[in-house]
Amino acid sequence: MLRKTLAAALCAVAVLSAAACNSGDDDASDSTDPTASPTTTADRFRGGIVTPPFDKPDIVLTDTDGNPFDLRKETEGELTLLYIGYTHCPDICPTHMLEVADAMEQLGAEDAAKLNVVFITADPARDTPEVMRKWLDHFSTSFIGLTGTEEQINSVHDQLHMAHPTFTDLGDGNYAVSHAALVLAYTEDNVAPLAFPNGFELENWVHDLNKLIDEGWEQ
Amino acid sequence: MNFRTPRRVALLLAMTAVSVSLVAAACGGDDDDDDAADTATATTTSTAATTTTGTATQVASPITISGVWARATTNDVSAAYMMIKNTGVQDRLVSATADVSPKVQIHEVITEGNTSKMQEIPGGLVIPANASVELKPGGYHIMLMDLPTKKLDVGQKVEIDLVFEKAGKIHVTAEVKQGGGMDMGSGGMSGTGTATSGHGMGTATASATGTAMR
Ligand SMILES: [Cu+2]
Repeated sequence: MLRKTLAAALCAVAVLSAAACNSGDDDASDSTDPTASPTTTADRFRGGIVTPPFDKPDIVLTDTDGNPFDLRKETEGELTLLYIGYTHCPDICPTHMLEVADAMEQLGAEDAAKLNVVFITADPARDTPEVMRKWLDHFSTSFIGLTGTEEQINSVHDQLHMAHPTFTDLGDGNYAVSHAALVLAYTEDNVAPLAFPNGFELENWVHDLNKLIDEGWEQ
Repeated sequence: MNFRTPRRVALLLAMTAVSVSLVAAACGGDDDDDDAADTATATTTSTAATTTTGTATQVASPITISGVWARATTNDVSAAYMMIKNTGVQDRLVSATADVSPKVQIHEVITEGNTSKMQEIPGGLVIPANASVELKPGGYHIMLMDLPTKKLDVGQKVEIDLVFEKAGKIHVTAEVKQGGGMDMGSGGMSGTGTATSGHGMGTATASATGTAMR
């Protein structure tokens, strides 16, 4: 079992590096329509394969209407992308959100509706429900924003085996927050076997989300 | 069946896999621990680049800047990106000012394990001799803070003064863009795609390939 897992882990590295660094070479050039659904060739996910998959945090947070949101209950049985970031993040967070929003636009409304996008803040001090709603609407009004107490946010990180957020002083009351480098893709079964790293390109997003929606997760 | 130990080991491996993958995915983006390789690649690409520019216009400053854009925002922080090309000796981007922001810093993104954070680059951003350095999402950026307008709209212009240790002050104008893969004209790995399609187009493409893949 150990050897098998090791092989899987190494495989994940290979798959991901190939996808991220050679994006566009093979697929883009021999496909006439980049939005066409996945071809029948041995077509693998381009995101990182997580073995064993991440569990979905068992937590009740607060949504952008100020209502309690039980993450597992509310998203059970549905494909769900989960990301942890903060709205005063001008770089990675909006890049991820925009790529996901752009990819969903390319998928079309019908497919996009099959996907939940959940953004959990790593910075509950600044990210009130109102602040988050305004920021998320910039990308999509359908994106779900969740905040909570520091303890709740830490618990989310613990459950995902991620380090608690750290805060870097930028001066004059500004600070940066450490946060997830990955967008996790949860299947209908509340586990995330796929993770999308920083720098995952739009065409890869479209590819993997398409595949996930059309074919589901199978390895 | 005893899952305990194997599962823990497997998890550890998974974490390793994810973090290793990240480095690969970012294509070495911002860490400086592979300096030698960086310089080697950058030098190779910029040799070709110099030849191309040589036939066109002679530029006084060894530093040229292209593809400048800033991210549209609905709050008081944003970031600006660009390609900085240096045909001279090593220089350093030490500071910047912008008309839309009273507080501007040169930032880098550090990814450790499964988490990322940004921070001011101590001492500024080194621009190696005869090399191009790309500021792009997920990596180096000009951090714009405390925007009094609390927004930047697509199409708006942002005036930025960059201060280099040797080249001095260089003024650039950034166009505000949404910033997704859809409207990224230059930079990123989309540049690689253009290069392979065989247009043989100029310097930006060549150096974009160099920085993206280093
Ligand atoms: Cu920053």
